[in-house]
Amino acid sequence: MSIQVLLIDDDQEFLDVLSERLAIRGFDVTTAVSSRIALDRLKSESFDVILLDLQMPEMDGLQTLEKLTDMVPGQQIILLTAHATVAKGVQAMKLGAADVLEKPIDIRELVEKITKVATAKKPAPQSGKFFHQLFKKRTP
Amino acid sequence: MNGSHGKVDTLGLDYFGRMTASISHEIKNGLAIINENAGLLGDLVALTDKGRPLDPARLETIAENIRRRVQHADDIVRRLNQFAHSVSGPVTTVTLREIVESTVALAHRIAAMKGIAFTFSQDDTIKVETIPFILQNMVWICLKNIFQRHDSDTNLTLDFAFQEIETDVVIVMNFSHEIDTAATKAAISEEGKPIILFLKAQIYNDQTNRTIQLRMPKKFID
Repeated sequence: MSIQVLLIDDDQEFLDVLSERLAIRGFDVTTAVSSRIALDRLKSESFDVILLDLQMPEMDGLQTLEKLTDMVPGQQIILLTAHATVAKGVQAMKLGAADVLEKPIDIRELVEKITKVATAKKPAPQSGKFFHQLFKKRTP
Repeated sequence: MNGSHGKVDTLGLDYFGRMTASISHEIKNGLAIINENAGLLGDLVALTDKGRPLDPARLETIAENIRRRVQHADDIVRRLNQFAHSVSGPVTTVTLREIVESTVALAHRIAAMKGIAFTFSQDDTIKVETIPFILQNMVWICLKNIFQRHDSDTNLTLDFAFQEIETDVVIVMNFSHEIDTAATKAAISEEGKPIILFLKAQIYNDQTNRTIQLRMPKKFID
C-alpha cells in the first residue's frame, strides 16, 4: 500500500508540480492550498505524513503545526521552509515536527525522509485515523 | 550623527533588514518552484524508459512555467537592487504614488500573507520633495502597524489616495473594512516618531471614514 501524503502549501503551482513528482515515485498525494483546508480534510481523512510549508497566509506554519499535532497526536509532519533558521527548526521540533527541509528541495532527500518517518513511528491511538475508524465502526 | 538622525538610521536599518529578508524569501520560493518544474522535466524524460511517451504540449507548459517564474524572480531582484541603491539617495522630487507603489511592491508578500490587497485612486501626479528611502520607511511603518491590527480572517483592501493642501501633500489610506484607526494611528506615531519629526509630518485618523492620513510639507525642510 502506498504512503499517503498531505502536502500543504499556499502556492498552487508548487503543489501541482511536487505532488506529481511524488506520485511518479509511488506516493498517494493529497494537496491543500491553505492551513484551513488541510485542517478540514483531517476531520475526515488521515495521512501517513504531512508536508507543511512554514510560511503560510492566515495561519503560519508553526501555528498550523500546533493545531495539527493537537488534532492528530503522533501525526508525522515534515516542515518545508524557504529559510530554515536554527531557532525555528528547534521550535518546530519541540512542537512535534519529525523533520525540517529547506526549499528548494532535493527530491531524493524528501523521498527518503517521507519513507523514513512514515515507517518509523505509527500514529498514536488517539490519532485522527483511530477516531475515524472508531467512528466508522459505530456508525450504523 | 545626532540622536534624532541616529534613530532615523536605526529605523532605516530595521526596514532594510525586514524587506531584504522578505524579498530573499520570495526569491527562494520562486527558485523552489523552478527547481520542481526542472525536476518534473527530468522525471518525464526518465519515464520514457518505462514506455511513457513524452507529450510535447506538456513539456511546453512546463518550460513556460519556468520562464514565467524566472521573469518573476528577475523582477524581484530588480526591485531589490533599486531598493538597495535608494538607501543613500539624496533629496529628490518624486510623485507620492511612486513612493507608495515601491513600498507596497516590496511589502507585497507580507501583505498577501495577511490577506491585504492594495488599490490606488487618482491623483497620481502629486509630487513631494523628500528623501525617498526615509519616506518609504514611514509608509512601511504605517503598513506594518495596519497589518498588525488587521484580523487575518478577513480580506482587507487598502486604497491609497493623494492630496495637495496648500504647502502640504497628503497620503490618504482608506480601509475597506473597519479597523481601529485611533489605535493604529497611535502605534504609527509612536514607532515612527523620529521619522515624523525628521519629515515634519503629521498623522491623522478618521474613524468614521475609515482613513489614516500622512501629511507632510511638499518641500523638504532640512
